[in-house]
Amino acid sequence: MDDLQFRRAIYAEPNNKDADVLAAQQEDASKKQFAKDIALLDERIKQAMQVPVPDDLCDKLILRQTLASHQVQKRKKRVHLALAASVAVIGGLMLNFMQFTSAHNNLGDYALAHVYHEKGSFNNNATSQVTLTALNQKMATFDGNFSEPIGKLLFADYCRFDAMKSLHLVFQGKTSPVTVFIVPKNEQLTFSDKFNDQALFGSSLEFQHSNIIVVADKNESLSQWKQHISDTVSWSI
Amino acid sequence: MMTKQVRYEALVKALHGDLYRYAYWLCHEKQVAEDLVQETFLRAWRALDSLKDEKAAKSWLITILRRENARRFERKRFDMSEYEEATITDTKSVTTEQELENHWLREKISQLPDEYSEPLVLQVIGGFSGEDIATMLDLNKNTVMTRLFRARNQLKEALEAEPVKRGMTNG
Repeated sequence: MDDLQFRRAIYAEPNNKDADVLAAQQEDASKKQFAKDIALLDERIKQAMQVPVPDDLCDKLILRQTLASHQVQKRKKRVHLALAASVAVIGGLMLNFMQFTSAHNNLGDYALAHVYHEKGSFNNNATSQVTLTALNQKMATFDGNFSEPIGKLLFADYCRFDAMKSLHLVFQGKTSPVTVFIVPKNEQLTFSDKFNDQALFGSSLEFQHSNIIVVADKNESLSQWKQHISDTVSWSI
Repeated sequence: MMTKQVRYEALVKALHGDLYRYAYWLCHEKQVAEDLVQETFLRAWRALDSLKDEKAAKSWLITILRRENARRFERKRFDMSEYEEATITDTKSVTTEQELENHWLREKISQLPDEYSEPLVLQVIGGFSGEDIATMLDLNKNTVMTRLFRARNQLKEALEAEPVKRGMTNG
């Protein structure tokens, strides 16, 4: 290692521990002295560079950060509150939507679902019978009236037909009960004239303020039932 | 488990001194150096989660500080002469011989071109190797070594050139 190289190495890095730099110092006393001088110079530079640090700087830094993060936390709390409120509102709306909107969007689907739901409740051979007077009392709610009995009426009562107050009539049929609904008109459910599935079929009659829906099994003659109903029913308004 | 707050305070306590000194040699003004350090630590706090390796903390902070310093120049573009700034720094604290010499040497360091003084500060105060400095300053290692050599060389020459004046001041 020549002198210039050695000097450059030491100047650039006074505590240079490279093997050849150390070896060069061992061989040559003047190089060793030079390295010592520069190390001394470096010590002085270091001393000079140690400018006094303001005493309160550390505290200031911590204080400033504490204040800044406090602000952030306050902002975060507000955001969280807003988020929680939004979630609550959306939850409320969803609940509303699920409870008060119909799962079915036409009369036929709903009628079938309703009949299946109450299938077990009615026995075709039940002895109980509802009189025409009792039926017409109930029909008064819909401003309707039957002039004569349509068949053997096993059951007549109000029910909820897709959240609308309706009249649910069950007549004795040939093999299974025949269900008749008297339902106020509603825009939510589209009128379906004829509908059916594997076991049941149904048909609707449209009047001015109400629909009458007949659901029966496939042994019945729906047209006969419909004819019978439209012949006997009359509406007061 | 260390919370973010505890990590931050540890970082501040361990490194604020070196960082302040580095900032001081970068801008030569006490007040500006303090502002730079404050801004740096505030940014460091926000990004603290991205600091995975505590050993790399110092170079990480220095990188933030250099960026902050560069931003300062984007904001205002006036530059006082370095010699004046250096004399402003601390004339009052000149009491003992050692401090007198420090003061004199400080002036000389301030007069070095920034590209020489910056690697020197990083090496002497930061304790970084030539390779670390090269990475931080985005230079190659040979350039860094050359600048370190020139920086020390100039300081040594300055010291040798003014022994009489120093003697007079000391006496």
